[in-house]
Amino acid sequence: MSRSSKSRKTILIIGLFLFTLGVNFSAPSQEKKISFPITQFELKNGLQVILAEDYSLPLVSVVVGYNVGSINESPGKTGLAYLLQKMMFQGSENVGRMQHIKLIDNIGGILNATTTEDKTIFYQTVPSNQLARVLWLESDRMNSLDVNSLNIEQVKEALIEENRNRKEANPYFESLLAFDNLLYPDPAFSHPIIGYEADIRELTAEDIKNFYKTFYTPNNAVLSIAGNIDKRKTEREIRKYFETIPRGNNISPLPESDPLEKKEMVKTFEDSMATSPAFYLGYAVASPSSADFYPLTILEYILLRGKTSRLYKRLIERERIGFNLIGGLEKRKNLARFKIFIVSNNWMMVERCQKALFSELNKVRITPISEEEILKSKNLFKMDYLRQFETSLGKALSLAETFLEKKRVDDPGDELEKYLAVTPYIIMRTAKRYFTEESIILNVKIK
Amino acid sequence: MRKHLFYRMKRRSWLNLCLCLLLAIFNWNSLLLSQERFRKTPPYPESLAELKLPEVDSASLSNGLALYLIHRDNVPIINLRLIVFAGESSSPEKLPGVATLTAKMINLGALDLSSAEIDERIEFMGGNFTSSVYDDYSVFDFNFLEEHLDDAIGLLSRMILFPAFKKLEIENMKRSMKYELLNKKSDPEFLARRQIHRLLFKGHPYEKSIYNEDVIINLTQRDLAAFYDKYYKPNNSIVFLAGNLNLPTASRIVSRHFSTWQRKEVNHPFLPPPKASDRKRICVVNLPRAKDATIYMGNVLSMPGASGELLPLFVLNQVLGGTTASRLFMNLRESKGYAYWAFSEIEIFKNFCIFLIKTKVLAEVTYKSIEEAFNELKSVTDGEISSFEIEQAKSYLIGNFPLQIEALPSLSFKVSESRIFNLEDELWSKYYEKIMLVNSQQVFETARKYLLSTPVVVIVGDPKNIIDYITEFEEIEFYDNRGILQQTIKKEKSSEDR
Repeated sequence: MSRSSKSRKTILIIGLFLFTLGVNFSAPSQEKKISFPITQFELKNGLQVILAEDYSLPLVSVVVGYNVGSINESPGKTGLAYLLQKMMFQGSENVGRMQHIKLIDNIGGILNATTTEDKTIFYQTVPSNQLARVLWLESDRMNSLDVNSLNIEQVKEALIEENRNRKEANPYFESLLAFDNLLYPDPAFSHPIIGYEADIRELTAEDIKNFYKTFYTPNNAVLSIAGNIDKRKTEREIRKYFETIPRGNNISPLPESDPLEKKEMVKTFEDSMATSPAFYLGYAVASPSSADFYPLTILEYILLRGKTSRLYKRLIERERIGFNLIGGLEKRKNLARFKIFIVSNNWMMVERCQKALFSELNKVRITPISEEEILKSKNLFKMDYLRQFETSLGKALSLAETFLEKKRVDDPGDELEKYLAVTPYIIMRTAKRYFTEESIILNVKIK
Repeated sequence: MRKHLFYRMKRRSWLNLCLCLLLAIFNWNSLLLSQERFRKTPPYPESLAELKLPEVDSASLSNGLALYLIHRDNVPIINLRLIVFAGESSSPEKLPGVATLTAKMINLGALDLSSAEIDERIEFMGGNFTSSVYDDYSVFDFNFLEEHLDDAIGLLSRMILFPAFKKLEIENMKRSMKYELLNKKSDPEFLARRQIHRLLFKGHPYEKSIYNEDVIINLTQRDLAAFYDKYYKPNNSIVFLAGNLNLPTASRIVSRHFSTWQRKEVNHPFLPPPKASDRKRICVVNLPRAKDATIYMGNVLSMPGASGELLPLFVLNQVLGGTTASRLFMNLRESKGYAYWAFSEIEIFKNFCIFLIKTKVLAEVTYKSIEEAFNELKSVTDGEISSFEIEQAKSYLIGNFPLQIEALPSLSFKVSESRIFNLEDELWSKYYEKIMLVNSQQVFETARKYLLSTPVVVIVGDPKNIIDYITEFEEIEFYDNRGILQQTIKKEKSSEDR
């Protein structure tokens, strides 16, 4: 193994002299392109493949994303998407139970999976000479998942336990579900990803097999690979492992979800778990594919991101009327919501929080934000955005997620420019458009 | 007759045809049903790709401030990491916590800048700033957008050179530290690690890092100023910069902002390693309503960093409990079904290490789990490690190393760690080569030398749920979550014993 690590020691005698000169050595503030070359192709069975080379380290990240999540579950079958994510580690025709984890662990790799309302994503990073091992593992579970009753019962029990733990760990779990029911009238969009215990218990092997057969198909998936790869060789390997997996049936699109009623709504939820009074505020906003999503994202940073964001500064730091504040934009397939959740010490404080909150929302509607403040928010956003591309896994995940959402891959540099192009006027216009009187409030009282 | 023959021939050819068709269908089906050969077994890996470590340049200012520059150009972000050798072990005897409070105050006011103004400036650079304090050093981490390099270093220098230590901010921070500590006391892993440290560091300067919330309240502005004056010196600090930078530019900027920092001799007395525990101690820490038992077992390894034994110890740790494929996990969770998880780890300090086994188990198998962990320890010290296991452990360590240096903050951490502990070869430049050379004999010798002593055992849980399942132990010490001994229960000797 050879490496080249140069450690050049230089003694620089630089003292007060340079300091007093006051020369400005700051780096030029030009936007730096973060674009990187991408290769994209489709296999005969419909599997979408995206490759990105990065030779900085001998690593490769492999992401397999399926276009399925909790919104694809039928009534009474909640938890199925998440259960299937867990089942994918229970073995397939040639891979034993939990062997996938061990085979990645043994070579120093990392792996995980995640299920959202509209996506299920499996990912791993390994030394680049082990790429074929990951392709072998991923293709085997895409091709021939082992769904047997013993596995199913174990996973169901683990899921039910996780369900209980989550409820115990989050005293506002129930109220959040109640709020989601108000914000997303279509139950497919609002039920918890982890599912209801009663539904999970009733899930059968048949349900799981059907769900797998319908959604875990190459034509409903994207394979994204980033890292130290030889593109041609990688393409050959991908074709070897994935191209003979049979294409699945076409999936019929989900029916249009019920629109949110255009009216103000204020409800109260009595929560037996809540430890302090709290409230939720939500707005229906533009679909994630809309051009308004760029200013909405910057608006989220202005209001909620960082210690110097407007709401944090006023409610938590200055007036100290709330002690927990979270929120932001939320995407579920073609729907998006702007959510804010605040916990206070007592009911009087909740009312003061609501007044202060509406006054802040009104401010962004009627007063243009200063250039300095918008630049700060954009810089915070830019940092988060750039961090996605810091690692090979970040790149592969970002490419897979973008593809699942948009059916295309955008140039990361061009995309960033769109966020950075948002002006104070656009922010004001966007706030006016979405922070309307048609808000939904759920007050949480202690039972 | 001819007709008959014709019919017979025709019938035979029909039969042949049907047979052929049947065979063809059968073959086609079997072709479809049987999988490709390559699917049956995992593919062989290709040869290991070359690891090119990022270049590290260094320079030092005339006031003694050392600068390390780590080259990485994948994203236009910079990680700035300032190390000050002012850890909790340097806190005065009667003022534990002062190192932590001093570090936490650094970004809460400087010269003419208020805490809020500092926050504004940091976030304007897209940045985030954190301070952490360990036993041997304090560290300030600052991530920001590349184009703000000069402003960021300028801001850090103002915070470090001219901290305000405003009384009001000190009081706020003391309250916040107190509640943070109180909150952590519901975390069984935090309690377990703390109790292990408390037991192993008894009477040693490292004991100061295990202070309780009440001591923070008594710290004053004067205490902070005195601590700051003693330790926050350029010749007692190192700056690490990771990103797309070159040494001349970085040196100029660092020099411009830090050259007025006045040098002063800082005395760090040599701290010998704490004495390793040599007797079996079972300690229960009370965590009311915890339904499971969190077990930590550990001991001090008086291992000087440059002894060449660190990497065999890494391999040993990997075999025992590095991942889900290691012995502890396979035994306690996969085979016995006792544990939610079971791992081991090595904590590195300036002049020694701590070896830890940690697991979370069902309360009713607490004793059995501890027994199994002891069995695993015995098995590695008896030399029952196959070459295959050693190679597998090395394969993990080699494969995982690039992952640890991928993101900028973790890259900075890795480089700084090797400099802090003077382990540049072991943890950085020769890590790969040296790990590859580790053999079974070295691992066995390391195990015999360091893991034969009996570790102290800490069980965090609700004594009501655990007590019936640990009656086999001769003596059990019971502590509250502040680490104060409540009682010691000794097993009643049976009539035969008496």
